[in-house]
Amino acid sequence: MKKFLALTLASLMLLTLAACGGKTDSGSDSGSGSGSGGDSGTFTPSKTVTWTCTSSAGGGSDIFSRKISEIMTNEGLVNGQTIVVSNETDGAGEIGRNKIATMKAGDADYNLLTFNSGDLMPMVQNTKNRAANFRILAIMAVDKQLLFSCPSSDSKTDYAKAGGDQTDFAAAIEAAKNGTFVVIGGSKGDDITTYNKLLAEVGLDDTQMSYITYDSTSDAITAALGGNVDFVISKPAAASQYVESGDLTPVLALSTERYAGNLADAPTLSEIGDYEDVEVPVWRGVAGPASMSDSAVAFWSDALGKVAGTEAWHKEYLETNQLLDQYMDTASATTYVTEYEADYMAENGIS
Amino acid sequence: MENFASLLAGFQVALAPENIGVCLLGAVLGLVVGAMPGIGSLAGCALLLPLTYKFNPTTAIIMLGALYYANMYGGSFSAILLNIPGDSPAITTALDGYPMARKGRPGQALMTANLASFIGGTIGILILTLTASGLATIGLMFGYAEMTIILLIAMTSISWLIGENPIKGIVITMLGILVASIGMDTLSGAPRYEFGNMYLLGGIPFTPFIIGCVGFAQVIKLINEREADEKKRSSEDSKQKLSIKDSMLTGHDFKRMLPPTLRSGTIGTFVGVLPGSGATTGSMVGYAIQKKFKSEEPMGTGAIEGIASSEAANNAAAAGAFAPLLALGIPGSGTGAVLLGGLMMWGLNPGPLLFDTNPEFCWGLISSMYVANIFTLLVAILVIPFLIKILSVPVKYMIPIITCVCIVGAFSTSNSMYGVIVMFVSGIVGYLLDKNGFPTAPMLLAFVLAPMLEENMRKAFIASRGSLAIFTDSPLKLVLLAVFLVLVLTPTVKAIRKKMGAGKKTRV
Repeated sequence: MKKFLALTLASLMLLTLAACGGKTDSGSDSGSGSGSGGDSGTFTPSKTVTWTCTSSAGGGSDIFSRKISEIMTNEGLVNGQTIVVSNETDGAGEIGRNKIATMKAGDADYNLLTFNSGDLMPMVQNTKNRAANFRILAIMAVDKQLLFSCPSSDSKTDYAKAGGDQTDFAAAIEAAKNGTFVVIGGSKGDDITTYNKLLAEVGLDDTQMSYITYDSTSDAITAALGGNVDFVISKPAAASQYVESGDLTPVLALSTERYAGNLADAPTLSEIGDYEDVEVPVWRGVAGPASMSDSAVAFWSDALGKVAGTEAWHKEYLETNQLLDQYMDTASATTYVTEYEADYMAENGIS
Repeated sequence: MENFASLLAGFQVALAPENIGVCLLGAVLGLVVGAMPGIGSLAGCALLLPLTYKFNPTTAIIMLGALYYANMYGGSFSAILLNIPGDSPAITTALDGYPMARKGRPGQALMTANLASFIGGTIGILILTLTASGLATIGLMFGYAEMTIILLIAMTSISWLIGENPIKGIVITMLGILVASIGMDTLSGAPRYEFGNMYLLGGIPFTPFIIGCVGFAQVIKLINEREADEKKRSSEDSKQKLSIKDSMLTGHDFKRMLPPTLRSGTIGTFVGVLPGSGATTGSMVGYAIQKKFKSEEPMGTGAIEGIASSEAANNAAAAGAFAPLLALGIPGSGTGAVLLGGLMMWGLNPGPLLFDTNPEFCWGLISSMYVANIFTLLVAILVIPFLIKILSVPVKYMIPIITCVCIVGAFSTSNSMYGVIVMFVSGIVGYLLDKNGFPTAPMLLAFVLAPMLEENMRKAFIASRGSLAIFTDSPLKLVLLAVFLVLVLTPTVKAIRKKMGAGKKTRV
C-alpha cells in the first residue's frame, strides 16, 4: 500500500514538474525588474528567457522556435542564459499572443513570440490585437506555395470523373468555367488567402472551384493522395517527398518565377494563360511585447540576425524545410508586417 | 516473406540494450501516464517529445511508441477501478469494466482488459507487419463519405448508453454536440459561440472536459458517499486480499473473451488505419459491433465481452495508426501527429520514401512494438494486486488524491489554468447532471465524435455540391451503409416482431 502511494505521489510530482517546466521562470522573474537591461545603454540577458510558441509541440512553428533557441544557446548569443520554449495553445493561440501583447515592461525584455503570417491572419480576423501591439523583432524566412495534384489517385471528384487532366491547371480552369466542379484542398490561414487570390485572378467563384480546409497541410496532401481533391496547395517542403516518390505532381507555381529542382516543371500562372502571377509570401518571424525596451529590441533583432548567418541555420533549418533565406531586421520587418496586415485587412474588409 | 526478413533485421535494432531499456521505460511511463485520468497518449507524448530531441531517432521513436502503446493498457485501469477513463478510448471500457469490478471481480476485469489489449495489439502489429505500406493505401480509399458513415456507426454506440430515460439521453447527447461546437469552425474558421471570449475561441479543450465530467464529478459523488463508505468499512472486518492467482480468468471466462477480442482486434486495426480516426473511434466501433453479438450477460452490466471488445479494438487501432504514419507520413490520430513532428525534429523526412530511406528506423519501430507489447503485458499483470488495493483505500484519502490527479491532468493539456477551470466547471455540471438522472457518457461520446462527423460530412457535401448521391455511389459505401442500417434498424424490427408476436398470441 505504502509503496503504491509513494509510487503514485512520485509520479505525480514528476508530471507536475514536467508540466510546470515552462512556467517556473515567469513567476520568479517578476519583481527583479529589467535587470541589467534598462532603457538606456545596451541590453544583455541576465535571466531565463521564455519563448512562447502558440502552436503545439512538434509542429512547424515549434520546430522553428526550438531550432532558433538551440542555435542561440549553442552560439553563445544569450550570455549563457537558457531559453525555454513554452507551447501555449489556448484559444487557438490567441491567449498566448494576447499575453505577450499585454506584458508589462521589465519581463517584456525576456519574452519572445513566434509570429508567422499564419498567426497574424486569424488574430486580425477574430480579435482586436494587431501587429502594432507587438514589437516585430525579425523575419527569419519566407516560403511560397505550389499547386500539386495526384493524377494516379482514385477518381472521386467531379473533375476527375469527367476525365479532367489533373496535371493541367489551365484545363481545370476551362472545365470549371464550363460547369465541371473542381475542388482544391489546403491548410488554414495562408493557403485560404492564396486560394482566394487565385480564384479572383482566374475569374471563377467558389461554386465553380471550391476549397476544402484541412487542419494541416499533411491532412490536405492525404486527401489529394486519396483522390478527394483535384489539387492541393502546399509549400515545397511538405510535398517534396511525395514529388520524389512520384505520388504528387507539381502543377502550378504560386510565385512570380518557377522553382528549381524537381519542382521546375510547374509553370507560373502567367505562363498558362492571360493572368497575373499569384504569389502570397508566407513568412516566419519573431516578435516581442509592445513594452519591450528599445535596447532589448535591438539586442534580439541583432541576435536573430546572427542566427540567420550561421551555417547551422542554413543547413539544418532553411535547407531541410526548403525555405528562402530572407532575414529582415526589426525596422524592415516592422514595415513589412504592417503593410502585409493592411493588405490583408483591406482584402477581407476588416476595419 | 520479405517483410519478415526486414522484421528480423528490425529485431536486431529493437533488441539492442539501450533500445530495450527505453522500451521498458516507455512501457512503464505509458502505464503510469495512461492510468492517470486525462493524461492520455497525446499529452504523454507531447510532454516527452522535447526530451527526445537529443536521442537517436530510432531510440526516440521506440520509447514514444512503447509509451503510446502502454497508454492503451493504462487507460483501462482507472476506468475499471474508479469509473474514470484514463483516456478517451477507455470510455467504453468503463461501461462494462466498472460494473464488473463492483460485482466483486475487479481482478478478472483487469486481467480481461490486459489480455484483450495484448491479443488485440498483437493482431494489429501482425497485420501491420504483413501489409505495412499496403494497409496505408487501403486507408486512402476512404473518402469523406465513407468516413461519415463509419462515424455514424460509431455514433450508434451512444444509444446503448442513454439509460432508462430516452429523452434525457437525447438531451444530454445534444448538449455534448453543442459544447463540441464551441470555438472556431474547422472549415471556415468562423468563431462559434465564443461570446467575445478569447479562451472560448479555441473551443472547450477535450481532456479537461472529460476529466471534469468523469473524474471530478466522481470526486463530488465520493464526498457524498463518504460517511456511508466509512460505516461499510467498519462493519466489513475481513478485507479480501487478492493476488495475481485470484485474478486469473477461468477457462470459461477466457472462452467468452476470445471471440470478441479477435473480432475487435481485426476491426480495430482497420479503423486505426483510416485517416483522422484513432484508438477512440476504434474502441467505439468495436464496442458497437460487439453489441450485435451474443454476450452471456447484457452489455453494460459488467460483461467480459464488453471489456474485451473495447480494449482489443483500441490497442489494435493504436498499432494500425502507425501504418499511414510510416508508409505515407500521414498521422492517423492526434498522437500520430505529435510523433510525426518528432520525426521531423529528429531529422527524418516522413513521407512515402521513409521505408526505403530509413528501413532500420521503420522496422526497428515495428519490431519494438512486439517487444513493448510483451513488456507491457508483464508489467500490467504484475501491478494488478497493487491496483486492486486502490479499491481498499478509504474514501477520505481517495478524494484529495483523485482531485490532485485531475488538476494536474487538466493543467498539463495546455500548461495553463484555463484547463483547470474547464475541469472544475464541467465536473460540477457533470455531477449535477448525473444526480438528476442524466447519464454523462452519451455527452462525452457525442463530444468526441460530433466534430469529426461534422467535418467529414461537410467536406463530403462540398465535394458533391450538396448532393446526397455521394453517400451511395460506390460498393464500399453501400456496404458500410448497410452495416449502419442494420445496426440502427434491428432494435426497431425486433420490437415490431415482438409486438406482432404478442398480438398473435392474444388473438389466438
